Amino acid sequence: MHESTPPPRRALRERAATGVVAGLASGVVVGAVMAFQDMVVGAPAWFGYVIYAVVLGALLGVTTGSGRSRSPIAETACGGVLLGCVGWLLYSLTLVPLLAGTAPTWSAASAVASYPQLVGDLLQGGLAGALLAVLLSLRADRTAGAGSPSRPLVRIVIIGGGFGGVSAAKTFERLAVRGAPVDVTLISDSNYLLFTPMLAEVASGALEARHISAPVRASASHTRFRHGRVDQVDPMARTVRLAGEAGTISYDHLVLAVGSVPHTFGLPGVEQHAWTLKNLSDATRLRDHVIGLLERAEQERDPAERRRILTFVVAGAGFAGTETIAELYDLVFGVIRFYPAIGSEDARFVLVHPGDRILPELGPDLGVYALERLEARGIEFRGGARVAEATADRVRLDDGDSIPTTTFVWTAGNRPAPLAAGLSGTGRQLPTDAQLRVTDLDGVWAIGDCARIPDPSRDGEHYPPTAQHAIREGKVVAANIVTSIAGREPGAFRFRAIGVLVALGHRTAAGEVRGIRFSGLAAWFLWRGVYLAKLPGVEKRIRVLFDWLLDLAFPRDIVVTTDAKAPVHDDVVVGSDR
Amino acid sequence: MSTATVTDAILHRRAAISGGLAGVAGGVVFGAAMAVFGTLPTIASILRTDSAVVGFILHMLIAVLIGAAFGLLVIRFRIRVRDMLFWGLVYGAVWWFLGPQTLLPLLQGMPVDWSAAHAETLLPSLVGHLFYGATVAGVFVLLQRGGRTTGRVPAVGAVVRGAVAGTACAALLTRVPNFQVGSWAWLLTGLVLGVLYPLIFTGRPEPTGPALARGTVYGFAAWVVVELTLQPLVRDGSLGWSRTDAAAVAGRLPGYLLLGAATAVVFTWLGLWLRGLFLDDVRKIEVEPPGARGPRATAYGVLAGIVGGLLFTVVMVLVGALPMVARIVGGQGTSVGLVVHLVISALIGVTYAVLFRRQSFDVLSGIGWGVSYGFFWWVLGDLTLLPLLSGGTLSWDTATLAAQFPSLVGHLAYGTGLGAVYYWLEAGIDPWWMTRSGIEASRVTARREQVLSAAPAVWVLTVLVAVTLPILLTGA
Repeated sequence: MHESTPPPRRALRERAATGVVAGLASGVVVGAVMAFQDMVVGAPAWFGYVIYAVVLGALLGVTTGSGRSRSPIAETACGGVLLGCVGWLLYSLTLVPLLAGTAPTWSAASAVASYPQLVGDLLQGGLAGALLAVLLSLRADRTAGAGSPSRPLVRIVIIGGGFGGVSAAKTFERLAVRGAPVDVTLISDSNYLLFTPMLAEVASGALEARHISAPVRASASHTRFRHGRVDQVDPMARTVRLAGEAGTISYDHLVLAVGSVPHTFGLPGVEQHAWTLKNLSDATRLRDHVIGLLERAEQERDPAERRRILTFVVAGAGFAGTETIAELYDLVFGVIRFYPAIGSEDARFVLVHPGDRILPELGPDLGVYALERLEARGIEFRGGARVAEATADRVRLDDGDSIPTTTFVWTAGNRPAPLAAGLSGTGRQLPTDAQLRVTDLDGVWAIGDCARIPDPSRDGEHYPPTAQHAIREGKVVAANIVTSIAGREPGAFRFRAIGVLVALGHRTAAGEVRGIRFSGLAAWFLWRGVYLAKLPGVEKRIRVLFDWLLDLAFPRDIVVTTDAKAPVHDDVVVGSDR
Repeated sequence: MSTATVTDAILHRRAAISGGLAGVAGGVVFGAAMAVFGTLPTIASILRTDSAVVGFILHMLIAVLIGAAFGLLVIRFRIRVRDMLFWGLVYGAVWWFLGPQTLLPLLQGMPVDWSAAHAETLLPSLVGHLFYGATVAGVFVLLQRGGRTTGRVPAVGAVVRGAVAGTACAALLTRVPNFQVGSWAWLLTGLVLGVLYPLIFTGRPEPTGPALARGTVYGFAAWVVVELTLQPLVRDGSLGWSRTDAAAVAGRLPGYLLLGAATAVVFTWLGLWLRGLFLDDVRKIEVEPPGARGPRATAYGVLAGIVGGLLFTVVMVLVGALPMVARIVGGQGTSVGLVVHLVISALIGVTYAVLFRRQSFDVLSGIGWGVSYGFFWWVLGDLTLLPLLSGGTLSWDTATLAAQFPSLVGHLAYGTGLGAVYYWLEAGIDPWWMTRSGIEASRVTARREQVLSAAPAVWVLTVLVAVTLPILLTGA
């Protein structure tokens, strides 16, 4: 940090001590004048006055100066006069009557009676302020002459601008306000925090893409931000190297919050032909692709080909897959009125899942309920099946069945981002201890989807990779790093998930909060209320709320702005999606 | 000896010389007033003589010395009229406490008397010290011209804006029932104050809150100049600086305070709107959009306002003022009054957040702004709106000032709590000192200097006006 940092506790104590000296010295001078007027008579009165002078001096030292080592005399003298006046109101007009056993009246008559004390307090405060400035200046000269180094800051580097990384950065900021000696840099390859629970609604055109994301620079506005991609971490040299010519950054503590990337298990054709839904680009391109297909289908004379064009296959019936197919359904049938040559029977939606029910994260009842709601709309569920291969015009399942389609969305697997996978040496999540320290890597901490964090309350189990957990892990890792800097033992991460909610398309949702189950319209309202409240920043909440309100009054937009005919794949790294 | 040390020595020598010369000008102004009041022999008594000539010579020597000290004290600040005026006024006020009330009796070998009765007799000396401070400040700026002086001639548009603001505010105040000032003279006063405002306070646009605090003190200065000085001079050829004369026009002081504050606020708002409508260079628009951090600031304003309101409640309960507050909403009883009081406290807290957001840089500056704002609300709320809204009669005479002194204490306590808590809350989410580059650090430093340049002087003048004037004017 370039500005003089706020007084840490030690510096504040030193300023308070200097203030006490200034307060006592001025108290002696002004007290002597007061004694001449019989305003301070006897040991108890002197004792009370000395206490007052000490407290005023200490407060003056702590509350003035804006963290600067020097302050202009006029400025601190004015501060002293101001505190002297407040002290007169509090001490002479309030405490003195109370100590004498009478209720304070704060009347003009009582003020007139204690006017001499006011003059004394003003002069004492002003003199104390002037002396404080002189003493601070002398001390600053002495420390500058002695070549006293400025307070060393511990360099923290956070990689990843998802829920975990931004949460950690914000917590570091709060701790720095309280005097934690940290200099934090956050590196992310996207300059925004993506609110992934609403990504499917962007894919369906219900929400504007930018409305569900917040700039990292605004979310963690006092953290140094580097927009770039880290391509190498050297735990021995304690450096990270940025891709391209962006250079290396040294660290004392490294927080890895790099998230996960889609994992296709090497299935033939899946990586080339499957759409994923991990970032804003994925969502907007998928939405444009679907609108483009509707345009194509409208001109297609062959009914079989039209049906192939409008067949949407989603692999994976977890939260992401279920919400995606429900939103795609809403998008297609929400805008189909613009396409008079397309009948409702032309569109087909297939959800493929290896289990026998969808949403395994929910209880069996809610899973069954969600499946019923989807099937009632005509969405097909292929339970107990896995995708075996994907081509440009079809998806083949492991039971031998083949589904002609031009839209295949893959949500059936994630793996840690390559940076974390490379560091772990196994290609899997980075194993950490309960304090979030990466095993065998000194000074490296990991949180979020890329970390395998033990759950102390469930022996042998690990915390799930959800946004709820990532946010809490970010807070704990920041606190733990600051604790370890202070030489104390960091605490274990403990968190019990509050609940889960899944949107099932138009006015329907399901979920469980603290053991209480919700479904249907009530759950849908709950889903929208909860996630609206959790959006980062009031501005985004208002924008999303307006999007939803406009969606009630107007049809969805069918403007296509990109030429999205095929999925694009890169190793874009994101955080947790729930 | 390093170059910096040599430069500092030259700088300080020039400041002392300029200050000393400015002290001559201030001393002449103050000395002339002392000659009118016949108080020069009092100064001469330090040398055990009662000669007015000796008194004047001694007075001029002292004036030069403390003028030089003024130059040394303020040389690190930006030397511009808008700031120096307040530093000069507060310097004069402090010397009133330090000089005639403390050092003079000691040098005369007499006992020090800090009683209110004695201070009342020294009221002409207080006004003289204020004139001395203002003159020293003005001449010091002139003598430093070309050196560390900064400032620019205001545009004609700004002067017109000031004239509109001053006249409109004066006209608005005449609508207040029982307003004691004649219409045409008052409108002319508003016009002059409005025209002078941009001429004195030239420079970059500033936030509304600091402008309001400064305008309040500007109103006080206008009261001293117009009511205590110019009008008696024109009318009788004398100065109306005595306690009796000042008490006779004390009822107009709240009007001047409101006029000064309102002129500053309207002038600032007009500037904001005009820049928002007609300025095509966004670099010159420094106001952060309200939606950026406004909602959270508003919530903090509510919280800080309630904390300040709770401090105020102690005073209100003990003096039994809550039933009167209840009458604002047509209710009665202590509990209704308490609810109304806390709601008002929260609402004023919100306005504080809107006006003073990001204007505090330590707890003391929070207290400074808070106390200034609390005093303003004593004048506007307690002395003006409360009697009007609760069906009472508006009266600003000395008896009312005395009767409302407990409320003044409550308002100052409210401001202290409000400002301190708001700063504490704001610093938690907007730690201004945490910067990430040299450019950002220098930007923050510039903003701090811009906001706080003369702010400590404004705070001190506000509390001195708030606390001492009601005591001195209502009589010991």
